Amino acid sequence: MNTIYPGETMDHLSRKYEDKNRDHVIKILLLGLCTIVIAIFALGQGSSVNLDMLTTAKILLQIEEGSEIQRLILWEYRVPRVVFAIIAGTGLAIAGALMQGALGNPLVSPLTLGVASGAALGAALAIFLDLTFVSELLSLLWTGLTTIIPIMPVITFVGSDLVLNAFFFALLVVYIIIKLGSVRGVTAESYILVGIAITFIAGAIVQTMVYFATAEELSQLTHWSFGSLARVDSREVWIIGGAVIFLVPKSLEWSWDLNSLSIGGDEFAISTGVDPVATRKKILILSSLLTALIIAFTGMIGFVGLAAPHMSRLIIGNDYRKLIPCSAIFGALLMLIADTIGRTVIAPVVLPVGLMLSVVGGPLFIYLLLTNRGHH
Amino acid sequence: MSEIMKVEGLGFSWGDNLVIDSVDFIVKENELVSVLGKNGAGKSTLLKCLNKILRPNRGKITIHGEDISELGILTTSKKMSYVPQSITSNFSMDVFDVILLGRRPYINWSVGEKDRDLVSKTIDKMGLTDFAFRRFDRLSGGEKQRVIIAKAVAQDPNLFLFDEPTSDLDLKNQIEVMKELRKIVSEDNGKAAVIAIHDINIASRFSDRIMLLHEGKIISNGKPSDVLTPENIELVFEVTSRQVMGEDGILRIVINDEI
Repeated sequence: MNTIYPGETMDHLSRKYEDKNRDHVIKILLLGLCTIVIAIFALGQGSSVNLDMLTTAKILLQIEEGSEIQRLILWEYRVPRVVFAIIAGTGLAIAGALMQGALGNPLVSPLTLGVASGAALGAALAIFLDLTFVSELLSLLWTGLTTIIPIMPVITFVGSDLVLNAFFFALLVVYIIIKLGSVRGVTAESYILVGIAITFIAGAIVQTMVYFATAEELSQLTHWSFGSLARVDSREVWIIGGAVIFLVPKSLEWSWDLNSLSIGGDEFAISTGVDPVATRKKILILSSLLTALIIAFTGMIGFVGLAAPHMSRLIIGNDYRKLIPCSAIFGALLMLIADTIGRTVIAPVVLPVGLMLSVVGGPLFIYLLLTNRGHH
Repeated sequence: MSEIMKVEGLGFSWGDNLVIDSVDFIVKENELVSVLGKNGAGKSTLLKCLNKILRPNRGKITIHGEDISELGILTTSKKMSYVPQSITSNFSMDVFDVILLGRRPYINWSVGEKDRDLVSKTIDKMGLTDFAFRRFDRLSGGEKQRVIIAKAVAQDPNLFLFDEPTSDLDLKNQIEVMKELRKIVSEDNGKAAVIAIHDINIASRFSDRIMLLHEGKIISNGKPSDVLTPENIELVFEVTSRQVMGEDGILRIVINDEI
């Protein structure tokens, strides 16, 4: 029989905890590496000019010059798209993880709070009623500013009135969420129920417009709702990317609050020094902003925000200090894989990423859930 | 023994329904105080007022002389730890991580050696070593309850507030958990516990003091043998009883057959 000395069990437990954490960090790093490899592969693939990974990497790192057309396609077309896939996947996955934790509900996705329905309403208004007051207002303001400060550059507010309108209406929903957060006695369920109500209301308005729409308008809206990465130009990619990068560290700061809230609910959270109402409010504002920012450009992509956090939980558990980065990487990975398949499977036709995500990611998600029951 | 908590004229109502009515008491260091009363007497509500989960309508609660309504939530959680009857959640973590949440008020982001070792020590002390890396949601009700108690112990507060800590435990575990709580409260200076509990014999065996709550008021407050009299028990629980002093020196309350 082994003799256990006093203190030995304690050291053993502490060591095991450290080992487990190290194991998780290694898994996250490997997943990150995997994402980089797939990103390089994705950069080489398309409807024309297919490059192997080595050549792609060499041209990117300027070790090899490559032909002009190769450079052009790579830098002008594929780099922004792949970077945007990573940004959108990361942002939506983090938004999903935050919302699930703050609301203590595993069924929640970035679409739950109605932000995306708001965006859809904005897009529909832009298409059907030609209500593009947001972009007009911005242009007017900008023109005013350039008159006052002549050195400011003259920029036009991106061809896409649709995106701006979608973003504006998504922000309106974010505003409703902020207002709701200040109502006394608001619970996690209140947010979800209000989200569902917003979804119904916005949906009904869109459906009414659809009822009177022409075939061309219908096709435009359907196209928007598919979820696509094709609507952004390289400048917008950096703007959205910057905003996502700015918002992510904030969410990491709240990891412990999310751990406490998601594991034990409101009363338990209070006993650990977390104010559930205030915490939930700030987390939902941040995550709905992230969602609004991305969904306005991409259209309806919700699945990645539901699946990536759950896939991460299967691997590293529910500790948000690790769950947020792991979900981000899973989100990027899923988005990259779905988009690459969508771009190549029946090239030159490009299938929308939103559809591919559900078609490819859905079965994978179900398989992982079923085979991993009982494990992290 | 110096005073940890003082409650004066505490009142709480849900709408027009007065649940807690002018409650006064003091909790001193190294004291284990049980709150007894029938269902709906206001035991849980009282504990939730003490931990600021509910905001009282009237009265004043101080801990170490400081008014708790003026303390931040983080400071409050360092001074006292509330343990709910049970927790249900859709997400899960390893037992070690759940107990580590007790250190949340002290941790900024990364877990220091001191916090980690304190959790390991608590797990060892509470006899949870075999569960340490099992998933919390896969434990039995009793095991979960012990984990949540261990979380409160790891939090290292001055005052523990337990809402029926033994409700899901079997007989052996009830005694073991109460012994452990008794030990923590007696040994560590500057600690005390207020426990809402149903089992009058467990309460009488482990408590220094019992407060009998009836219709929102404390009708008796003192040593178990003084509070758990047949008259008080009949008034509150509507059953007749007698006190029996065992040869082991433990007071037992025997409920008479006719109800």
